[in-house]
Amino acid sequence: MVRVNIRYFAVLRERRGLSEEQIETSAATIGECVNQLVVEHRLGLPVSLIRVAIGTDFADESTPVQEGMQLLLIPPVAGG
Amino acid sequence: MSFILSFEPLALEPREHAEAGGFVSFEGKVRNHAQGRSVILLEYEAYPEMATAQGNELVEEAMERFGLLDARVAHRLGTLNIGDTAVVVQAAAAHRREAFEACEWIMDQIKWRVPIWKRETYADGVSEWVHAGSAPAEPHSDQIRFERQMRLPQVGDVGQTNLQNARVLLVGVGGLAAGSLPPLVGAGIGAIGLVDADLVELSNLHRQTLFASSDAGRQKVERAAAFAKRLRPAIEVETHFEALSETNATRLVDSFDWVLDGTDSLDTKFLLNEVCRKLGKPLVTASVHQFEGQIMTILPDGPCLQCLFPEVPPDHCVGTCATSGVLGVVPGILGAMQANEVIKGILGLPTLDRQLALVDLLTLDVTRLERIFNPKCPICSGSERSSALEWDLQHLPTFDFDLIDIREIDEQPNLKRPHQRIPMTSCYEQTFVRPTVFVCATGRRSFRLAANLRAAGNRHVFSLLDGLCNPALK
Ligand SMILES: [Zn+2]
Repeated sequence: MVRVNIRYFAVLRERRGLSEEQIETSAATIGECVNQLVVEHRLGLPVSLIRVAIGTDFADESTPVQEGMQLLLIPPVAGG
Repeated sequence: MSFILSFEPLALEPREHAEAGGFVSFEGKVRNHAQGRSVILLEYEAYPEMATAQGNELVEEAMERFGLLDARVAHRLGTLNIGDTAVVVQAAAAHRREAFEACEWIMDQIKWRVPIWKRETYADGVSEWVHAGSAPAEPHSDQIRFERQMRLPQVGDVGQTNLQNARVLLVGVGGLAAGSLPPLVGAGIGAIGLVDADLVELSNLHRQTLFASSDAGRQKVERAAAFAKRLRPAIEVETHFEALSETNATRLVDSFDWVLDGTDSLDTKFLLNEVCRKLGKPLVTASVHQFEGQIMTILPDGPCLQCLFPEVPPDHCVGTCATSGVLGVVPGILGAMQANEVIKGILGLPTLDRQLALVDLLTLDVTRLERIFNPKCPICSGSERSSALEWDLQHLPTFDFDLIDIREIDEQPNLKRPHQRIPMTSCYEQTFVRPTVFVCATGRRSFRLAANLRAAGNRHVFSLLDGLCNPALK
């Protein structure tokens, strides 16, 4: 298990009910990690529609999860 | 003839219309003062052929714009006394509001567009020719209007001229446009295009502050155009009362230099992204959700919206202003940021390209994210992306090349490899015959320089990805 920090944006923040949390995960990749969160908290978006950034850079979902990572979960936003 | 010029006192009889619920007749009178001077006599003169042609044109435009049943104008020429009627405007419509508004609109347009001059004779015997209305701004009045921003070294005469030559298209005239339109018009953008198929609704007004309560039920594009004209009469405004679609997108976007996405539909945002990429137009896209927003400037050679989200998501799964709610000030701020991006882009100042900014207005945190280019993007995976990436080098090339550090002379640390230092601004004045790789601190300035030099026809210039952080320089 590793600890990672998660930040939620837009509709994900709304559905999760918070902006930021620290979690423990056994996921090997960041894609898997996001998928677990989507299922656990019924975030209502398929993983393929959520982009993940590590720190300040977007990253591929196959990137391995590492202890202390800061993951930003960014959904599309439609409002104008 | 709906526009009549007459040397005789005006007498315009109303025409009967069974469907008309409102008939408004307005008379403009000669009054006894102008700009604090006492007027005793007035004389109107026109270039009749042109005045009649332009007058008829604007009456027809009013018929269409306000859905009138009838509209007529009679304008006096010759000498008039105090109290005489100088102009009569009549409008008949199904409802009174259109009739009232059409009369006012026609009067404003006559003053701006129709070549009629008046000579005022004052009590002191002096007389002066003046244009009948507030004529489009003359150069010296623009000088006053834009004085405060032209004082900025980044604007000056050249920047102001560039702004006034620029044509900017706003797709979606809602909450984001309420933030972007006023500063764009204020800055002196030469022409604005407005695209929206919606009518103003009461539930829009908490965030769409271009509109007045009395605008409910009217076309958003038409009311926004009226707003722009009031702020700067000399601006050119083009309205399109239609939704952006695959069939009209190219036609609507083509004549503009910059495009602002102010829509609230993901389908439209992705369509706009695709069309702007195809036509090589820079696009500033933004969207809002509750207390936060996303904004990104998409340049023809940078990453695009579909790099960010390769799959076009359906609207319903991400929440909208209608379902999730939005604080009115949020789109206003994001819209103003869009205008800021366009203005900076036109002035050649750094923009948010190659980054996505997430703006949280509850905490005032701005998070900027990079590395948006995505091999899964169906739009950029074609030739344009590869050509962009070909000059954004991951490694130093194996062929013989010159390495140029384009940072300012005092920026540290120095490169460890043999190189020349030529600050970026000076690079624009040089010709690079040999293959040349530019380096800066992060790879951002060098990318822009290489892109601009390539756009100017220079084929052998490259940028080093990540600049000084690139492992090849360690
Ligand atoms: Zn793309």
